[in-house]
Amino acid sequence: MELTGAQRIEAPREAVWQALNDPDILRQCIPGCQELVQASATAFTARVTLKIGPVKASFSGAVTLSDFDPPHRYRITGEGQGGVAGFAKGGADVWLEPEADGATLLNYSAQAMVGGKIAQLGARLIDSTSRKLAGEFFSAFAEIVAPPPIPAPALPSEAAP
Amino acid sequence: MFAFTYHRPDTLAEAVALLQAREEAKPLAGGQTLIATLKQRLAAPSDLVDLGALPALRAIAREDGRLVLGAMARHADVEASPLVRESLPALAALAGLIGDPAVRNRGTLGGAIANNDPSADYPAACLALDATIVTDRREIPAADFFTGLFETALEPDEIVVKVLFPLGGEGAYEKFRNPASRYAMAGVFIWRGEALSGESPVRVAVTGAGQGGVFRWSEAEAALAAHFSPTALAGLVLSADEMIEDIHGSGAYRAHLAGAMARRAVARLMTAGA
Repeated sequence: MELTGAQRIEAPREAVWQALNDPDILRQCIPGCQELVQASATAFTARVTLKIGPVKASFSGAVTLSDFDPPHRYRITGEGQGGVAGFAKGGADVWLEPEADGATLLNYSAQAMVGGKIAQLGARLIDSTSRKLAGEFFSAFAEIVAPPPIPAPALPSEAAP
Repeated sequence: MFAFTYHRPDTLAEAVALLQAREEAKPLAGGQTLIATLKQRLAAPSDLVDLGALPALRAIAREDGRLVLGAMARHADVEASPLVRESLPALAALAGLIGDPAVRNRGTLGGAIANNDPSADYPAACLALDATIVTDRREIPAADFFTGLFETALEPDEIVVKVLFPLGGEGAYEKFRNPASRYAMAGVFIWRGEALSGESPVRVAVTGAGQGGVFRWSEAEAALAAHFSPTALAGLVLSADEMIEDIHGSGAYRAHLAGAMARRAVARLMTAGA
């Protein structure tokens, strides 16, 4: 399935680009990500637990960054095995466009694939779920890169239930 | 299935204590979603806390002008209950449209709303009727209870005890079922009654269609409040971009279905009132 969209981020393009390459920020934004360890300049290993309704599955896998054109665009791909639950893989082309007022428009075009049992049971819901997860990623990303001007009380870091 | 420890507490307090003591424990109501998920090994809770030995949770009663349904009331109980059929016939009819007889004989109201499947039927009734969800520790208005796709305001160790449905109006539910799963491709519950302060006298809740799960269709509510007739809905279409899109139907198809179900529900209410 395909997923395209754009998110406006109240920060200059350089800052958004830096954040897109910062494993610590990516870890905080990837929904359910418990661990993102840098293996090389462009490769990471990840552990992600997804909880959607009654389903709860942990995936371990690899995240790779490629097709670099700083500070304009790159491609992020991920592939994970969830044991008997099945597998998930996906990728997104991400490109940044400066806005007239100094903010940045983050565009994405993503593809996702799931297989195995999780795909059979969840066929009804994979699209909605992917959209929800993408939405969570980008809103968390926008929040970290460009926090709202009025300081909000510090939130406890997201803990997986 | 993965191995788990099974508990069958006799009291609500004990059930809550079990959930609190074990981080990976899950409550088990009718099990119509959870057991299927466990069989597929798509979840591995450490403990299951079966709520089936708490008879108080199955009560169906009428109190203070409200219909009170216990969380463990099964769909078949609600469908057949003379009290529900008399006080809120649309709710009894809705329960009779859920799944198949096997599902209705096991599945429960509390389990259905706690799971908040975006295509489940009960959430539409709760939202349209402005029901109150009572848990072991608090009361939650339906408007605050359903927070998104498979998400509710419930804490992981919180148990739904009962649901209070206000009476004093009339409702109708129309659903277009997926013929295989019998989940709603689009389901619309319309309620009409006395206008509460600042509230519309007509409430329209849509399930099965929205990506975030059940939602209120405020444009339809305004149109029907001005003129209660299927023709009042002519030209009103939900945004296809916000609808579920899957192998069973596109977003535009679901938006269209929701409109069609809304018109049918209005027509049904008008026939009933005539």
